[in-house]
Amino acid sequence: MQTENNSQPSVKDVRQQIRELIDHLAHILPGQAPIKDFVHHNTLHGFQHLPFPAALEAARKVTGIDGYLPENEFRKLYKQDRITRQDLLDVIRSDKNFADDEPVLTCQSKPITRAEIILTALINPITTVTGCQLTWQIEEQHALTRFQPDVSESSRKHFFSNMRQQVSSEASAITELWSACLRVLDLQHFVLHPEELVDLDPDDAEKMLSDSLHETIETGGEHVTRRMVLKEAEKLLSHTLGRVGPELTIRDVLHLLTGQDLLEEIRPALIRHLSAYLDQGMAAWHHPQRQLGFYASWKQSALQDMTWSLDNMSEITDELNHLPNDAFETVITELKLIGIPEKHWPQYLERLALELPGWSGMFLWRSQNPGYESLLPEHVDMMDYLAVRLILERLYARRICRDQWSIGPRLDLIRWYFRQHPYQFMVRYILHTSRLPEYLTSRAQSLVKQFNQEFDDDNQWQLLAQMIWTWRQSPASDNPVGHSVFGSAWRLFRLAQHMGLPAEVIATCNKSQVEDILNCLDALTEGVRGFIWLQAYENHYRDQLFNALVNNRGRGRWASREQRPQAQVVFCMDDREEGIRRHLEELNPAIETMGAAGFFGVAINWRGMDDEKITPLCPVVVTPAHEIREIPAAGEEQKKTAHDKRRQLRLKLSEVFYQETRRNLFTSSVLITSSAFVAMPVLLTKLFLPFTSGQISNWLLKSFDLNINSRIVINAQTNTEASIEHPRLGFTDEEQADRVQNFLRTIGLQQGLGSFVVMMGHGSISQNNPHLSAYDCGACSGRHGGPNARTFAAMANRPEVRKILKDRGIDIPKDTWVMGAEHNTCDETITWYDIDLIPDTLKPAFTKLQAELKQATKMSAHERSRRFASAPRKLSPARALRHVIGRSTDFSQARPELGHATNAAAFIGRRSISQGTFYDRRVFLISYDPTQDLEGKVLEAILLAAGPVGAGINLEYYFSTVNNDKYGCGSKVTHNVTGLFGVMEGTASDLRTGLPKQMIEIHEAMRLQIVVEASTEVLTTIYKRQAPLQELVGNGWLLLNAIDPDSGEITMFKPEQGFVKWEGEVSNLPEVASSTNWYAGHQTPLTPALIKQAEFANG
Amino acid sequence: MAEQWIWLVPLLPTLASAWILLGMLFGFNRGERGERQTALVIQTASLLSLLLLLALMFNAVPRQQLPGLIDITTWFSTGDYQIKLNFLLDGLALGLSLVVALVSLLSIRFSVNYMHREAGFQRFFAILGLFNGAMLLIVLAGNAMLTFIGWELAGVSSYLLIAYAYDRPNATENATRAFVTNRIGDTGFILAITFSFILLGNVDWPSINAGNENKAGFSLVIIMIGFLMAAMAKSALVPFSSWITRALEGPTPSSAVFYGSLMVHSGVYLIIRLQPLFEQSPFMMFILILIGALTAIYGFLGGLVQTDVKSSLMFSTTGQVGLMFISCGLGLFEIAAWHLGLHAIWRAYHFLNAPAMLHLMHKPARPVPAWLQNRKWLYLASVQRFWLDNLANAMLVRPALNMAHDVQRFDEQIVVRAVGLPNSVGAISSLAQWEEYKDDNTGKLIGDSGAIGRGRGALGNLMEWLASVFSWFEEHLVLKGGDEGVISLIQHAGHYLNRLEKLLSQPRYLFLMIILTFAVIL
Repeated sequence: MQTENNSQPSVKDVRQQIRELIDHLAHILPGQAPIKDFVHHNTLHGFQHLPFPAALEAARKVTGIDGYLPENEFRKLYKQDRITRQDLLDVIRSDKNFADDEPVLTCQSKPITRAEIILTALINPITTVTGCQLTWQIEEQHALTRFQPDVSESSRKHFFSNMRQQVSSEASAITELWSACLRVLDLQHFVLHPEELVDLDPDDAEKMLSDSLHETIETGGEHVTRRMVLKEAEKLLSHTLGRVGPELTIRDVLHLLTGQDLLEEIRPALIRHLSAYLDQGMAAWHHPQRQLGFYASWKQSALQDMTWSLDNMSEITDELNHLPNDAFETVITELKLIGIPEKHWPQYLERLALELPGWSGMFLWRSQNPGYESLLPEHVDMMDYLAVRLILERLYARRICRDQWSIGPRLDLIRWYFRQHPYQFMVRYILHTSRLPEYLTSRAQSLVKQFNQEFDDDNQWQLLAQMIWTWRQSPASDNPVGHSVFGSAWRLFRLAQHMGLPAEVIATCNKSQVEDILNCLDALTEGVRGFIWLQAYENHYRDQLFNALVNNRGRGRWASREQRPQAQVVFCMDDREEGIRRHLEELNPAIETMGAAGFFGVAINWRGMDDEKITPLCPVVVTPAHEIREIPAAGEEQKKTAHDKRRQLRLKLSEVFYQETRRNLFTSSVLITSSAFVAMPVLLTKLFLPFTSGQISNWLLKSFDLNINSRIVINAQTNTEASIEHPRLGFTDEEQADRVQNFLRTIGLQQGLGSFVVMMGHGSISQNNPHLSAYDCGACSGRHGGPNARTFAAMANRPEVRKILKDRGIDIPKDTWVMGAEHNTCDETITWYDIDLIPDTLKPAFTKLQAELKQATKMSAHERSRRFASAPRKLSPARALRHVIGRSTDFSQARPELGHATNAAAFIGRRSISQGTFYDRRVFLISYDPTQDLEGKVLEAILLAAGPVGAGINLEYYFSTVNNDKYGCGSKVTHNVTGLFGVMEGTASDLRTGLPKQMIEIHEAMRLQIVVEASTEVLTTIYKRQAPLQELVGNGWLLLNAIDPDSGEITMFKPEQGFVKWEGEVSNLPEVASSTNWYAGHQTPLTPALIKQAEFANG
Repeated sequence: MAEQWIWLVPLLPTLASAWILLGMLFGFNRGERGERQTALVIQTASLLSLLLLLALMFNAVPRQQLPGLIDITTWFSTGDYQIKLNFLLDGLALGLSLVVALVSLLSIRFSVNYMHREAGFQRFFAILGLFNGAMLLIVLAGNAMLTFIGWELAGVSSYLLIAYAYDRPNATENATRAFVTNRIGDTGFILAITFSFILLGNVDWPSINAGNENKAGFSLVIIMIGFLMAAMAKSALVPFSSWITRALEGPTPSSAVFYGSLMVHSGVYLIIRLQPLFEQSPFMMFILILIGALTAIYGFLGGLVQTDVKSSLMFSTTGQVGLMFISCGLGLFEIAAWHLGLHAIWRAYHFLNAPAMLHLMHKPARPVPAWLQNRKWLYLASVQRFWLDNLANAMLVRPALNMAHDVQRFDEQIVVRAVGLPNSVGAISSLAQWEEYKDDNTGKLIGDSGAIGRGRGALGNLMEWLASVFSWFEEHLVLKGGDEGVISLIQHAGHYLNRLEKLLSQPRYLFLMIILTFAVIL
C-alpha cells in the first residue's frame, strides 16, 4: 500500500480523467456504426498503435478475447498441408527468442535444437493436466504402458530406433520413460483419488503434512496448518478486493462470491430502456420526455416503476430520490457510494462499459456522432449511460448483499464482513474460480446455497476451507508452483514420445537441460503460439503468391499501351472483381481491365430521383462538398409525376402492410385478413421458385413504377465556394477537369484510351439481410457506387472538360466514350447508365462490349458457384447465372453471396504483373503505373487511401473469423433487428457487432499481403513521410512487399530491417487454357495457376 | 375411403422426425453431408401430409358432405369408459389443418437454406417435424385426450426450440420459463379431461360439446374453466402473456411458425372447438370477452413500445389473439376461425421477413397520438409489460424456488443424516484435523465413530449409522458426565425449533397449507 494522500489526485483531476475516459472508450469498445451504415473497419482499431502481436495481447488483457485462430484449426491446416513443417521452422528460427542454434541435448549424437522442441510442441498439444486428468490418463487410457494415441507412426519408429538396448515391449519402454521423466525432475508420483482425502490415512496425512510444512519457513508452534489456512484466506481476500476497480467490478466480486450474476437481471431491465431511447423508429411510442436525455428519462420512469416493489427492492425509490439530477454528479456519487478508491474511478467505468460492449459501443458511437439521423433532437450523452449502469449495478448488488450478509453494497463493508469471516470468503472464492474435486464442490455448493446469515456456523466454513487447503497440498491436486508431476513431468513425457526420445536419452539430461526444455514449452504462451502459426500460414500463401508473380513476369498485357486497347473497363479494386476481370480478359484479349477505389475520385452527396435526402458516396473519412442530383430526362417530366404518384402509393401500401399490421389493433385485423390471401401465393412462389418470383416481382415493380429515363445534374450553376458546411449543387468545369485528370493519373490511364472507358461501380442486393451494407462498396461508405461511376463518365464526356484536360496535356481521343455502369456482385447484373447518349458511330461497338460483359458475368457466376454448397456441382455458365440470381431473390438464403471472404492480398501496380494468372478472387487489384509516377506522389495517395480501406476489410474479416463468437456477431439465424441500428440474439442480449458466421465460414484468416510495383527507394521515402502508413505497416497490420518495375525482384518489408529480398523457392506453375479448366470440379481454395495467353499482339 | 387414412396426416411428419433422430443416433445423417437427406425426408413427409389433406378436401367438398367423426380404433376401454383413436373432420378441422400443413411446409422449406451449416441442423428439423405432427394432431383429433397428446408434444418441441442455442443461459432460462408456464395450462387441460371422463364416460369432442342438461352444471363449468386455462396458457393470454415474448430465442423460422403463426393459435382453436359448450354459459362467454379484451390491450400497448422486430411482431400477434377471444365471447366463432387461419398465414410471412424489416421500413413508425404519447405511467407500464413477469416471479417462481430450497435443506439436514451418507461420519479430512488430533495426545481420533466399522449397502449403512449415533450418544451424554452434553443438546433442539417456526411463518408455507387444505376438500 502506498501512502494514500500523496497518490490521491484532487477531485477536479478525477473529473477531467473521467471525461477523458469517455474518449478513451472509443478505443476499446466496438466502433461499429448503426447497421444500415455498416463499413468495414479494423475490429481492434483502438490498439492499432501497437505492433500486431502486442495489440492482440493487450486486447486479451482488457477484454479477455483471444485474437488468433484456435490452435486445433491451425493443426487442421497443417494436416491439409496448408502449413508445412518448413513454414513453421522458418518462422520459429526467425524469432530471436528461439533462434539459438546451440542444441539443447543430443540424442544418438544427433543434436536436438530448441526450434525442434517448439515445433513438436506446436504440432502436438503438450499441455499441463490436472491431477484428476492424470489419474484418468493412467487408469483409463493406460498412459504409462502405451504410446499416447496421437503419437505418429514415424515418431514411434524413431523412438525405438533411438534405443540402444532393445526393450522387449512398448509397455516397458513407456513405463521406463515415465520413471525417467520423474527422476530427472526429482519428483515422485503415486495415484491418489481426491475422494480418498475424505478419510485420510494417518501415514498419508503425516507425509503431506511434512511436505507442505517443508515448503514454508513457518514451522514449529501449535496448529501450524490452521494458521496457514487462515493466512491463505486473508491473502486471498485482500488480493481480490484490491483488484476491484482496475480489474473487477462489484458485479464480478458478487459473482465470485455467490455464483449469481447481477447482469442477468440488469441486462433486460437496462436494454428495454436503452433501446427505446436509441430507437430510430421501430417503436411508435417513445418516452414522453425522451428529449431530456437518457438519465433523466430513465430516472423518471424508475421512480414510478413497480418492478422494485415486486422484486423485493422497494427501498429503491427512496434511493433514487436522493440522487442528483446531473448525470456526471450521479456517476461521482455512485462511485463514492460503492466505495471505489478515487484513483480507480476511470478504470472502474471502463470495466463497467466493457460488460456490455455492444450496447456501450452503440451509445458511445451515437454520443460521438451527434448529427446522425435520428428521432432524437438532443445530444446523446455517454455520461447518462454510465450513470444508469452504475445505479443499476448498485441497486441489484444491494439486494444480494442484504439478503446474504445483511450489509450494504459497499466495498468497505464487504471487506469488513469477510475480514471477520475469512474462511467463508476462501471457500466461496475458490468454489467459483477454480476447479475442485466433486466431493469438495458439492459441499461448498451446499454451504453457499444454504447459507443463512442468522444460522451461520463459521466452523463449517473453516472445516471446508481446511479440507480445500489439504486437497491443494495433496498429490491429487494441481500445484501451480515449481515442478510438478502433472505439469513438468507429464509434458516432458509427452514431448519425449512425440520427438521419439526414449528413457535412456531423457535419463542422461542434467537439471539445466531439463529446465531448458521446459522453458521452451513455457515460452510458448497462447499468444506466442498463435503468432507463430499465423505467420507460417501467411508465409505459405505468400510464397505461392510471389512464385506466381515471378512466373508471370513478362506475360501480362498492357505494360505499356503500344497498341490501343479496344476498351478499358475500370472496376472497383474489390477482390470480388478479380474473377470477372479475368474472365473478361479471357473472352476478349483486346480489353484492358483496371481497378481503383470504387468512388472513382468523385466524392459526392447523391440524391437520386426518388430520394428524399442526400447520401454521401465516398470513403467514410471524407465529407463531400458537392451534390449530384438525378432528374428526369427531357420530355419525361409528365411520366415522372405519374411515377412519383405510383411509387408513393406503392411505398404507402408496403408501409401499411408491413408496419400498420404490427402497429394497430382493429385496423390491422382487417388488413391482415385481406393480405393473407396475397401472402400465401407470394410465400409459395418465393420459397419454391425464388428465381421466378424474383423475375415476376422485378417486372411488376418496373411496370408499376414506370421506368423513366433520367439524367444527372453535374454542372454548377453558381461559382460560390463549395465547402463541407455549404455543399454546392454540381461541379464547375475546372473542378470536373481536376477530378477526371487526377483519377486518370492515379490509375495510369493518361494515354492509350480505348474507344470505351467503362467505370464499373458495384453494389449488392439481397433479401432478408440486415448486414446488407457489409456487402456493398467500402469506398462508398457501404453503399452502391453506380452514381459515382455515372458522374465520372458524364464529366469526362463533356467537351468543355476535355478541352481543359487537353490544355493540361491529357488528350482524350475524340472517339473515346466514357460509360458509367454498376456491377451487382450478388446477382451479377450490370446496370448501364445513359446508354442513349452514346454517339451513333460507337453504338455497334458498344453492343459488342455489352455482350462480352454479359458473358463475363455468367463466367463470374460460374466461378463463384463452385464455392456454394447449394449450387449444383456441374452447371453451365447460364445455369450458374440463374443460380446466383435465384440466390439474391431467395429470402431464405442466409448466404446470398460470400462477400470478401478469402481476401488475402492486394496488388498495387499495372495489370501486367498479374494479368494471365488465376488468383481465385483473393486479391484486391489496384491500378497504378510506376513509369508515370517517378516521384511516387500518386503512389503515396493510393497507399493512404487504399491501405486503410484494405486493412479495414481484411482485419474485420480476420477478427470475425478467428473468434466469431466474440469479435463477430455469431450466426444470423437467431438475429433480431433492434431499433433499426443493430442486431441482438433473441430479445435481450448484448448488441452483436462484427460479421456474422455466414459471412466468414470460408474465410482464411490472414493479414493482407500488399505487393506494390515500385522501387524500394520510392516506398521508403513515402513510408518515412507518412505516419498512418508507419502505424499500419510498421506495426504489422498490413504486410508490405515490393516488386521492382524494372527487374521484377520481390522484396518484403520487415519493420526492424527494412526491405529484405524474398528468397523463396521458384517453381513452375501449371498452365491451363482458361480459368474454368483450373477451378472446375474444385470446391476448396486453389493455388495460383497460369492461364494461356490468347494470340494477341502484345500492347 | 380416404378418410380412413387420416391418421397418416399427423403421423407422417412425426415419423420423419423419428427418422432424423435415428439418423443422429446412428450417424447416417450427421454433419453437413447429412443435410440433403434430412431436408428431403422432412420436406417429403410434410408435403405428403399436405397432399393427403388436399385429397380429402377435394373428395369431400364437392359432395358438400364432410366426413365428421372418423373412428380408427378403440384405444382404451373399460366398462363404461372408453377412449377411441378417432379424428373429427369437420369444416373447422379441415380448414385449419390445411393452414397448419401449409405453413409448416413453408417454414420447413425456408429453414433448409436458412439453417445450412448450423451445428443443430438435424436437431432443428427433427423438432420441427415433431411440432408439425403435434399441431396437426391438435386440430384433427376427435377427442380431448388425443388433442392433449398433440398439445404436449407441441409444448415439448417448443421448449426444445427455444433452447436451440442451449449454450446461451438466456435461451435455456426462457425455455424453462415457457415450459413451466405451459404446465399451468396443462393442469387445466387434465382437469377438464378428467371431469369429462367422469361425467360423460368418454372425451370425444362431440359428446363434450353436447354436454348434458341433466348433469350438474357445476361440473360443466369446471370443464370449461379447465379448457379455458389450457387455452389461456398456450395462447399467451393475460396473465400468462409474458412467456411468449421470452420464447423468441430460437432461430427466426421457428419463432415464426411456433409463436407468430401456429402454436399461439391453438388456444383459440380449442375454444372454437368447444363452441356449443361455451355457448351454454353466458358467464363464461363474458369471461372470454374480458380476457380477450385485456389481452388485446396488453398486446396493442406493449406492441407500440417494442424496439426489436421480433418482440414487436409478437405483441401484435398477442393483440390479435385477444381479438379472436373477444369474437368467441361475442358468439362470432366463425369469424374467429377465419381470423385465426388468415392471421396465421400473414404472420408466418411477417415473421419470416423480420430480418428484412430494417430495409422494408422507409420511415419511422407512425407516432402515437399526443394524448397517448404523454401518459408517462402507461408508457412505463407498456415498456415493463405491465409487470406480468415480475408478478409471476413474486407470486410463483420465488415461492416455488424457496420451497425447493427448503426441501433440499430438509433432505440434507435430516434425510441424509438419517440414511448415513458419508458426511455424517467424522473422519480426518484435513491436515488441520490431523494436526489437532496429534496435538491432542490422547491417541484418540476426534469424532472417530466412523472408524468403528464401515458398512456397505443399505443395511450396512443403517448399522453404521446406528453405531455412530450410539457412539455419539455415549460420548456426549454418558462420557462427558451429563451436564455439558445435555445443555448443548437442549441448545441444539432450541435452535431447530426456532428455525421451524421461522419457516412456518413465511408466506410460502401458508400458501402450501392452503393448497393442501383445498386438495383435501376437493
